[in-house]
Amino acid sequence: MTTLTEPPVATAAAEHGSREPGRRKPTASDLVVVLAVLAVVALGLTTDRFVTVANAKAIVTSASLVGIAALGLTLVMIGGSAVSLAISQTVAAVGMIFLSAQSLGLVPALVLAIVGGAAITALQGAVVGYAAANPVVLTIAASFAITGIATGVSGGSSVSASGRGYDHLNATPGGLALSVYVLIALVVVVEWVLRRTRFGRTLYLVGENRPAARAAGMAVGRTTAVAWAIAGALFAVTAAFTAAFNTSANVNLGGTLTFDAIAAVLAGGTPISGGRGSAVRTLAGAVLIAAVSDILLLRGYSTGVQVMVKGLIVLFVVVIVHVRTKGRHA
Amino acid sequence: MIRRRLVSRPVSLRARLGVAVVGLALVSAACGGGSSSDGGDTPAGGSGGLKGKTINFVGYGNDNPWGAYFNGVFTKKLEAEGAKVVDLTTMDPGTAVQNVNQAISNKPDLIVTALLDTSSMVVPIKKAKQAGVPVLVFDGRPDPQVDDDVMQVISDNEAVGKAAADNLIEGLKAQGKESAKIIAITGTKSSLVTQDRLKAFDQQMATAPQYEVIETQDGNWDPTLSGKIATQLFAKYGCDGIQGAYGMADYQALPIIASAKQAGCEVAGDTGLVVTSSNCFKAGIEAIQAGDLYGTATEDPGTIANQTADYVIRYFDGAKPPKKEVVKEERVTAANVAEFAAQCSNA
Repeated sequence: MTTLTEPPVATAAAEHGSREPGRRKPTASDLVVVLAVLAVVALGLTTDRFVTVANAKAIVTSASLVGIAALGLTLVMIGGSAVSLAISQTVAAVGMIFLSAQSLGLVPALVLAIVGGAAITALQGAVVGYAAANPVVLTIAASFAITGIATGVSGGSSVSASGRGYDHLNATPGGLALSVYVLIALVVVVEWVLRRTRFGRTLYLVGENRPAARAAGMAVGRTTAVAWAIAGALFAVTAAFTAAFNTSANVNLGGTLTFDAIAAVLAGGTPISGGRGSAVRTLAGAVLIAAVSDILLLRGYSTGVQVMVKGLIVLFVVVIVHVRTKGRHA
Repeated sequence: MIRRRLVSRPVSLRARLGVAVVGLALVSAACGGGSSSDGGDTPAGGSGGLKGKTINFVGYGNDNPWGAYFNGVFTKKLEAEGAKVVDLTTMDPGTAVQNVNQAISNKPDLIVTALLDTSSMVVPIKKAKQAGVPVLVFDGRPDPQVDDDVMQVISDNEAVGKAAADNLIEGLKAQGKESAKIIAITGTKSSLVTQDRLKAFDQQMATAPQYEVIETQDGNWDPTLSGKIATQLFAKYGCDGIQGAYGMADYQALPIIASAKQAGCEVAGDTGLVVTSSNCFKAGIEAIQAGDLYGTATEDPGTIANQTADYVIRYFDGAKPPKKEVVKEERVTAANVAEFAAQCSNA
């Protein structure tokens, strides 16, 4: 149902996406953000071998797989559905589908993977959107169900590729991983969808105030389900690249992707409460986390320290977003 | 407020029953804990065979490919002998501790367990000993504190670590390299499996000092993380700065190869990066056959499952197997991959 008239939609878009710079006075939290960014830049510049083309490629390559999944999660968060805790499991299951379908050829396998990812996630989105289920609880349950089904079907074994078509996804046109180009293209598409389509504007309004959106006659359930379906398709793209990279897939393929994607979205400044955020912000968050992990690795810090710092970045951004949101509402 | 409500509210029959059940459970647990075994040595399994015996199996979960194959082989073999195998498998270390505790209270004839977290299993193993329930540990060795309290069928992790070093040295020498820099991406560093493999790997690499291990990173048995770390290391050192790489499992070595290729580095061949692993999976065997992976080592689930099941059969037959058995591990390269292809392609 699309009873929304143009003026409020346009207003919402202006509210969420087209805020003109310079209209708001800088606050203390802005200063903290600027200082933090400067600190990261300074740390990078003083780290041996950080400022090299090869390292820049490594950072964006590391950011690409998490970034694509995080784009999907951005839609879920903007729509006010908090987070999905079933990303790793979805990616693992879809990765297995993708590799086992390689005998059909790369394109059919990709289509199958994307349809599978979209269907699995859309189903959860429909329950959240139409039945107002708690997304955290629902996706925890979904993660167990997906793992259980994937384990049952595969017998717990790793799935190897039934053809070599997947190798095209490991290509490096222009010396850069294909997944990086795909990430950039998807950021443009998702940003366009969010800013320029009725669905995108409705998603912001649903995320901002779900009861009000429902009262206004918006298609809350359908908008949420579609957002989750697109998210599932994006998780599937990550799954295809990850499975191709690892050349085999099992139920552990997703690793820590759920939390990495959440960290990227939050580090980009998209609030978990919904109603705000953008694909570009998520891209920035994914690159920021990859860059900081890279700096720590170049400086000789262990994986444990990298994980800890990732947590601190997310905490810092969440606090800043909270302070700024409170300031705006005061 | 909450406290007052709790005090003033009459206790329901359901709550009373709940308290009674919890109380009974605590009393019975306390009684069980007190009935310690008489010796301290692992109790003998008798000579009546496996028929009618109950084995509580706290192995790796079926969501792990290695565990899934192990579980299938092990359970089938014991059930065929007439044993009842109670499945308490899991991949969660916390749940594994709970499951061992549950197994102790079940009073089975034997607990067979893997050690997902060596340290957290110390107390449950001590409890089992007090309760007189024999424990057999498979795959990774137990904490030294309880080494004498359990029977063991363990992988030779030092042998597989040494095999990885041998593969690298052999591969680099075959390329005629007089010096080389090597990176290693390991399993979870805090685990004894990783520590044992790494120690033997480093010792063997020290015999060829012209080949230097320049980075050892914790890949946490995670293929995606291993790929990310490798990507960053290839950026850090460049293709010219890394000549060899060790991924502790095949599924960690393969992302290293993919990272190297994405960074534009040559892999294998006469001058390319030499990559090795140290426990085999189907994808690793295929990579050796394709010429991308120089080598690996066995540590395959089928061999360990068969030996563990055989141990259990001998134990209940009264054959008194040695308290500790180490599974023989083999080095695998292109030269002998055909010999191990079937054995390594089950997970």
